[in-house]
Amino acid sequence: MTQQRPRVLHLVDDATPGGVTRVLDQIRSSLDMARDARHEVITVQRNKGLPNLRADVIVSHLSISWRSLPALISFRARHASTPLIHVEHSYTHAFTALNVPMKLRFFALLRTAYALFDKVVAVSQPQAAWLERRGLVRPDMLHVITPVVDLRGFRALPAPAGPLRRIGAIGRLHSQKGFDILIDAFRLLEDPQASLHIHGTGAQEAALKARAAGDTRIVFHGHSDDPEAVMAGLDVIAIPSRWEAFGLVALEARAAGRSILTSGVDGLSESAGRTARVVADPCADSWAAALQLHLSRAPLTTDPTRAATAEADFTAAWAALIAELAPQTEMQIAA
Amino acid sequence: MPYASIIVPTFNSAATLGETLEALCAQTWGDLEIIVVNDGSTDHSADVAMAHSARDPRIRMITQANRGLAGARNSGIAAARGALIGFCDADDRWRPTKLAAHVAHLEAAPDVGLSYSGSTLISQSGLPFGHAQTPRLRNITSAHLFKRNPVGNGSTPVFRRAALEALAWRPATEMERDWVFDETFRQSEDIECWLRLALSTDWTIEGVPGLLTEYRVNASGLSAHTGAQLASWERMVRKLRPRDRAFFDRHEPAARAYQLRYLARRAISSGDGGAACDYVDRSMAASRLPLREEPLRSAVTWAAARALRRFGAGPIRTARTLLGATRS
Repeated sequence: MTQQRPRVLHLVDDATPGGVTRVLDQIRSSLDMARDARHEVITVQRNKGLPNLRADVIVSHLSISWRSLPALISFRARHASTPLIHVEHSYTHAFTALNVPMKLRFFALLRTAYALFDKVVAVSQPQAAWLERRGLVRPDMLHVITPVVDLRGFRALPAPAGPLRRIGAIGRLHSQKGFDILIDAFRLLEDPQASLHIHGTGAQEAALKARAAGDTRIVFHGHSDDPEAVMAGLDVIAIPSRWEAFGLVALEARAAGRSILTSGVDGLSESAGRTARVVADPCADSWAAALQLHLSRAPLTTDPTRAATAEADFTAAWAALIAELAPQTEMQIAA
Repeated sequence: MPYASIIVPTFNSAATLGETLEALCAQTWGDLEIIVVNDGSTDHSADVAMAHSARDPRIRMITQANRGLAGARNSGIAAARGALIGFCDADDRWRPTKLAAHVAHLEAAPDVGLSYSGSTLISQSGLPFGHAQTPRLRNITSAHLFKRNPVGNGSTPVFRRAALEALAWRPATEMERDWVFDETFRQSEDIECWLRLALSTDWTIEGVPGLLTEYRVNASGLSAHTGAQLASWERMVRKLRPRDRAFFDRHEPAARAYQLRYLARRAISSGDGGAACDYVDRSMAASRLPLREEPLRSAVTWAAARALRRFGAGPIRTARTLLGATRS
């Protein structure tokens, strides 16, 4: 007889419809993952006290800050014998460069916070390399599990047929995503058949629309709850992010057989795959040249496997990590 | 393998290169190599370098067709073997304890990628004339770097190799080696590099106490080049702006005001009252922040520019003594 599956509680303080929420939906709804453990998600208030919980493993998807640190310390003290995992969804090398005026103080925060956990999970190899290089996490505490969403609908999409003309940008309208650079670059292209489709909402919406004003080839679509339908209407995915811990859109684009142009920062160098075209210089001229080249040279290389093993890898990585932390519980590893 | 590499770009600096090399050879931290990059000199710079190399095998020279200061530094970086890489232009000098201070600093502070120091200004004849660059040493944010450039000049920084590697890229037209400094710049290549480090990497920039660099100030023809200098500064801003528009929206007016105030002071030093007043007025129009942050210096610059235009260069010599450094 197998013992009962371990109970794994996931704590999240970000309920907005972004990457973290979608990955937690995957954890909660995946039947494969449910074979190994009972995964439950608890939403808590940001920077407020954390509840007492009973579980075999507790996973934090919380955002770390000086304000949240006291709650984390208290939580650790009250759960001294429960294995605690933190998944770092936000912070990266490029995030630090652009958002942290006092870097030494920030590193002190991260070292203190991460030391409260038994394991820290990076969401990409480049992010993990940064955490290790900067001495923020001890190497033996550090794991990498790249996030996934349900990719079946993306894999079912036919590859783009005909000339590549519809460039897509998907994500929050925030300076993080670098859509300002993309709009400036696209405006430099002369091809009247090309179009740029921006999917998402956010604080920069008005500013980006002003940037695009007068160019009818640039279309703002707002947010969609049907990402597969969005992808179906696009030939090429542009991801010019200024920082990105992983980059789910890149994974979805690979699964959909779409070619990718990306800044390649942080996790994007992994999530966009080896066939992506990297535009390392964040300026309109470089992006315009890359787009020009990209649109004129069909067929393009795309991920031939369509990220075939992403979900299985994710399930197996979580199962292995939970097994390591809750070894007393016999587990059924997914076949 | 030497622990530190010091790169000495040289273009027709035969008159001063010897002093530079002697100062570097006299460093109390001796585990170093000195790489003289002869950047197409047409004088006998190469002979000077070879003569010193014969006496001290830690010196070697690489030669290239002229590529400019940034290109010479990049060639030096490509040839460097040290874990730390410092720069000293061929008319400047390092105080004997400079390298030791940076070695200790970078060893004690693993998150610091660029370590710099203050500088004594020296004249063409190599003598101090009572002025210094005494920058803030800690809590250097990108904004402070942009506005006040505490690194100061190209002969103060010592980098950790990894920090320079994080900046390296290979332009499509470059066949030989990576760029760290942007070779399309003939001026402002320093601040472009330091600010790019701050905006694209997580390395911290910090200074060590002491006036450990001796920086030679060229008093002749200062005014003539201020226009070109401003143009290259503006190009640096245009280049880096897309990396973080909010940062530039917020800090660019004040940084420009400081830059214009600096150019006003250079115009004063070269006796051009008209240009000095023009720069002062444009500085004030760009932002009043320098007046709030550094009221005395800003007011003295304004007064000196006005006095120079009204009374000529004679009386201003006294004021100039009060003004302090021509390059700060």
